[in-house]
Amino acid sequence: MTGNPPPGEPPDVEGERSDDTLMTERAAEGDEDAFAVLVRRHAPALLRLATRLLGDRAEAEDAVQEAFVGAWRSLPEFQGRSSFGTWMYRIVTNRCLNTLRARRPQAPLNELPDLPAPAYTTAPDRITEGRAALHDVQEALSTLSPEQRICWTLRTLDGRSYAFIAKTVGISEQAVRARVFRARRQLTHSLGAWQ
Amino acid sequence: MNNPPPETRTDPDDETLPCGRLLSQVWADWEEGVHDEHTAQCAHCRLAVADLERLESQVRALDSDPAQQPVDAASFIDRVMDVVRLELRPGRPLPLGEADEDLRIMENVAARTLRQAAEEVPGVRAGSCRLTLADAPGGTPVNVDLSVHVPLTTPDVQALAQEIRDRVGVTAHERLGLHLGEIDVRITDLVSEDEDEAAPRSAQEGSAP
Repeated sequence: MTGNPPPGEPPDVEGERSDDTLMTERAAEGDEDAFAVLVRRHAPALLRLATRLLGDRAEAEDAVQEAFVGAWRSLPEFQGRSSFGTWMYRIVTNRCLNTLRARRPQAPLNELPDLPAPAYTTAPDRITEGRAALHDVQEALSTLSPEQRICWTLRTLDGRSYAFIAKTVGISEQAVRARVFRARRQLTHSLGAWQ
Repeated sequence: MNNPPPETRTDPDDETLPCGRLLSQVWADWEEGVHDEHTAQCAHCRLAVADLERLESQVRALDSDPAQQPVDAASFIDRVMDVVRLELRPGRPLPLGEADEDLRIMENVAARTLRQAAEEVPGVRAGSCRLTLADAPGGTPVNVDLSVHVPLTTPDVQALAQEIRDRVGVTAHERLGLHLGEIDVRITDLVSEDEDEAAPRSAQEGSAP
């Protein structure tokens, strides 16, 4: 599987969604082979999502594995109000949010993401033409609050609509816009200041 | 119209550019592809947009970093299923054979066999298959509640439902020795052939060696 899903759309193909419904019903009734089909179908996209959200493959695998095992346990109560793919996307996103929150105490003390970014127009160093090294980008991402990072990643890297993100994270669209804006402001400043 | 006066600023982290526009609005316009004369000519707005564009291109470079891309999900999937198989939900034991025989089959195993029987009818895909013990004298027949997707092109849906019912009944009797009571077939979707092709009959993949 390659390429990004279209913005704002769940990552399902029409036919797979229909088949997912059947496989989800079977898995809810304890058919582990049907669940294996769902895991095989959705794991690559969910691993890519979690890796983007966490920036760490091993942590991403842990988050997605826990999400699948949790889904298997709660499938008998799954009402099918959303598709399996959308449901899993939400579970993985929220698990990654918790992972980022748990990670925060280990963040370097000299990076305090909650402080307001210095005034944009007076920032001494803007981003220059030179490209920041990838690890600089990662460093900059680690200065975001977990909530900012989740919203920004879903918007910028996963190409989701603000409405989709709001529903996934369970906050208002306005709050998502505010978080994405603050993340962008923080990142443009961080990366600009490190040139 | 996309140029709110500075006093509409609601986010304390927002900033008014020297030209009077809000940074958040300039970036939102860029994101939504909104252009106006001011943005095209204002040095402050263009600088703000250029910074955001550079940020976006930098993070896209990060996203295409091969080290970030899942290479092979196969071993991961095996690991997940290993954990899942430690927590199986086989369901209840159901009575098999005659009333005086002490034979049982697990609900899950019976359901799987009956779904497969339904899927022997061309184009049929089976989902939920619930088995309940019927309260009847002279034995304990099992009622079946089966949901299926059938092809959109099915000429006679009722006849197809009857064919599924027959196939399930015969399989239950001959292959399992399970006495069935009512067989309720619910058609939950009519699927076009394109969709059917996109959804391979993959339910049995997991049990393949």
